[in-house]
Amino acid sequence: MSNPVLIIGAGVAGMTAAVELADSGIKTVLVERLSTTGGNALNLYKAFPTDDCFYCFEGNRWRPGIRKCFYRSALTEQPNIDLKMNSQVEEISGLPGNFSVKLDIGPQYVDPKKCTMCGLCIEKSKAFSLVSPQCQPQAVVYDPEIEDTGTTSAAEECPTKAINLDAKSTKKIISVSDIVIATGYHEMQPVNVDEYGYGTHPNIITQLELARILDPLGETKGVLLRPSDGKPAKRVMMVQCVGSRDENYYAYCSKICCVFALKHAAILTQDHEDVEVSVVYMDIRTYDRYEKYYRDTRNAGVEYIRGRVSRIEPQDDGSLDIIVFDSLLNKYLKFSVDIFVLSSALEPSAGSSQIISSLGLKSASGFIGAINPETEVVVGNRIYACGSALGPSEVPESVTQARAVVSKILQSKE
Amino acid sequence: MVTYNLYIGCSVPVNYPNYESAMIKVAQAYDMELIYMEGVACCGSPNLRAFDHTGWMTVNARTLAIADKTGYDIVTPCNGCFGSLKDVHHVLMHDDEEREKINKILKKENLEFTGVAKPRHFVEVLYHDIGIDEIKKKITKPLDGVGIAIHYGCHLLRPGDVTEFKPEYLQELVKVTGATVIDYPLWKQCCGATVLPVNEDIAIRLARDKVKSMKESGAVFATVVCPACGNQLDLQQLGLKESYGEVYNLPVLVYPQILGLALGMDEEEVGLGMNRVPADPILEHLSD
Amino acid sequence: MLVVYLMTEMEERSGPPITLIDPIDMSKLDPTFRDEIKSMPNGEALSACFACSTCTAACPIANMWKYKPHQLIRMILLGMKEEVLSSNEIWLCLTCYECQERCPQKVRVTDIFFDCKNLAAEEGKIPPNVVALAKELLTKGQLYTVTADWEREDMGLEPEVPGLSVEAVKTILKDTRTRKIVGGDE
Repeated sequence: MSNPVLIIGAGVAGMTAAVELADSGIKTVLVERLSTTGGNALNLYKAFPTDDCFYCFEGNRWRPGIRKCFYRSALTEQPNIDLKMNSQVEEISGLPGNFSVKLDIGPQYVDPKKCTMCGLCIEKSKAFSLVSPQCQPQAVVYDPEIEDTGTTSAAEECPTKAINLDAKSTKKIISVSDIVIATGYHEMQPVNVDEYGYGTHPNIITQLELARILDPLGETKGVLLRPSDGKPAKRVMMVQCVGSRDENYYAYCSKICCVFALKHAAILTQDHEDVEVSVVYMDIRTYDRYEKYYRDTRNAGVEYIRGRVSRIEPQDDGSLDIIVFDSLLNKYLKFSVDIFVLSSALEPSAGSSQIISSLGLKSASGFIGAINPETEVVVGNRIYACGSALGPSEVPESVTQARAVVSKILQSKE
Repeated sequence: MVTYNLYIGCSVPVNYPNYESAMIKVAQAYDMELIYMEGVACCGSPNLRAFDHTGWMTVNARTLAIADKTGYDIVTPCNGCFGSLKDVHHVLMHDDEEREKINKILKKENLEFTGVAKPRHFVEVLYHDIGIDEIKKKITKPLDGVGIAIHYGCHLLRPGDVTEFKPEYLQELVKVTGATVIDYPLWKQCCGATVLPVNEDIAIRLARDKVKSMKESGAVFATVVCPACGNQLDLQQLGLKESYGEVYNLPVLVYPQILGLALGMDEEEVGLGMNRVPADPILEHLSD
Repeated sequence: MLVVYLMTEMEERSGPPITLIDPIDMSKLDPTFRDEIKSMPNGEALSACFACSTCTAACPIANMWKYKPHQLIRMILLGMKEEVLSSNEIWLCLTCYECQERCPQKVRVTDIFFDCKNLAAEEGKIPPNVVALAKELLTKGQLYTVTADWEREDMGLEPEVPGLSVEAVKTILKDTRTRKIVGGDE
């Protein structure tokens, strides 16, 4: 029996690689640090280019499964996938084809095969929660940090006996033939870009934070409210290239923030009533089919201002006065807004530099670098990367790269 | 014989009787019947359009409606008239609300815009209705390949979706006379006529740049198809000596003058004597 | 008052400015201006403008303008109605349509400037030379009148322009804005 393939990260790219390898008869170990799969895409609400929930892209609907959901049926039902949630890779040694991987496997408090998400435990104790109705695995999550008086009875009364409060984390060493790095990106917390005042005022937020506000399953149920006082927000300003294309932070273009912002502008102007949106930009980079978002939002009345923000003046009523230099008009404009959204740079995820140094990989501005630009997913001998681990990428691109990895691995196994 | 309504406008008959006369003679040579429209008014372009949209629409719709009664297309030698009539025709064909509004006004005179008569420029009629092959058959004194720069005029070419005129039409019409079409960098640029009432300096500068570009590209003559453009390139050229200290001596002929000469008309028949920059040197370039 | 505010904002000051940045207050502009232009037959594609400034690149005379064509379009989109309608630039437009023809977003730039001129004329913001033309049209019914009929006769043409009816123009323009612009007893 040959060694399985290790996949680090169960976001879009990692899940795709795992499912497609498994479907091709290759055993995979899919390691995810968090308690739900999906990565950043899970928080996107609608993902471009189709504005679907990213789980449900048209191309994936052929697969039989629960409510047409591709990953949902695959991740738990496909026997070739060994999904390790709340788990991390601690150490990698050995040679290509026979890597030795030390895993820190998190405690499995809730058995997803037994949990029916009936909600009884959530009613009884705050320690149990449901991350999202679409979460994968389909199970509630237990947080031992917030254990309360109802925790024990919740475990005891669980109708399917899915809860084990005594579960412990375990260390395990496994042998794998290939490694797929799919560790994704992290949205920079722009606290250091002081002209934008992030962290100084609750109504100054990032795009991912806005995505959570817009999500009908989120805290505000998709209603646009000002974080400061919960009052309806009517005027939104976005600013592009916060920390991207900036030698002081990240010199590269984060590539997807323009589309990200425009998608939000489209949702705000089309799905919400009387919301005015302005976008301050240096360049709008809506390559390929995304030009449509740019055109549609202009038609919907979104105001695009080429220029930069001069200063922000918080007002007593919770609004923000923002002075923008309009470089096309050569004038300063003063706007009053309720929410100021920063399109912050997308940076490598936390473990990226450690993986690069421990495996001796190339670094591309902190992301995993390809050995040869022509085969961008091949980053080492039997080591591959896909999705935003290689640099900011959109969902379809992540899927394509994951499929390229699968293809490379299948070729090497022949 | 094909019949057309001739809409002569207000500038050609006053400033360019030689244009009017040459056009009529060329039309006769090709068996076109041009009937002067009765009771029509100045198109007002583009000034009237700027300050009185409804007035401009009505005046031009009225001209179109008068032609509609005859069923014949309108022919004009002026880009201003052509642009105005084309524009109004285009709007009235596509905007039901505007058409109703304007027709209500026209009803006082028992007129109605029906869109039957299409406004057309004289050179476009030559190109489409007579055709290059037929034009060629009657040419008896072709030009000897002399270089001619064409100034089309803005309202002949643009907006393209309204005027539907392509530069090739005029290029073919010049080539068929035996002349060579000279390409020059500023071929698209405005002659400046429209800005004359508001800023004479800009208007003259535009005319000068145009003439300079033609001359420097090797043009021996220029041709225009609009009295306003003609005024800018021909008459204003004389003033360049004083304003810019430059003398170009670039004769500017309206197209029917060139075609007329190639058809064997003499210099008086096409009215060369009325051209401001002496145009008789063109006779040297006619074959015997 | 809006007008005063904008005029002082835009005019060059003689003394030193009080503050270094004196922004145009968006809340004092007229956001309905954009919709007003958009609702006119030529304004449909207005908001498709992505401020590439092709129009300015295409314009032969924009170099002489304080506000370039792309800036005027931006000002319309931002609601700077007073500034746009008071600008000389709209009257300096050659109407050569080079901007409109080259616009990659099919914004009818030249036609929109025609609409602006009409709105300006309605408010009485119209250069004196243009008023003189309006008067010419209203009183004479044409822009040019025959002064040298011998030239026509030389060319074998009737001395008077055949078919021209000045009365028709006068009658029409008496009921439209031209009359209002010319004013007086005419």
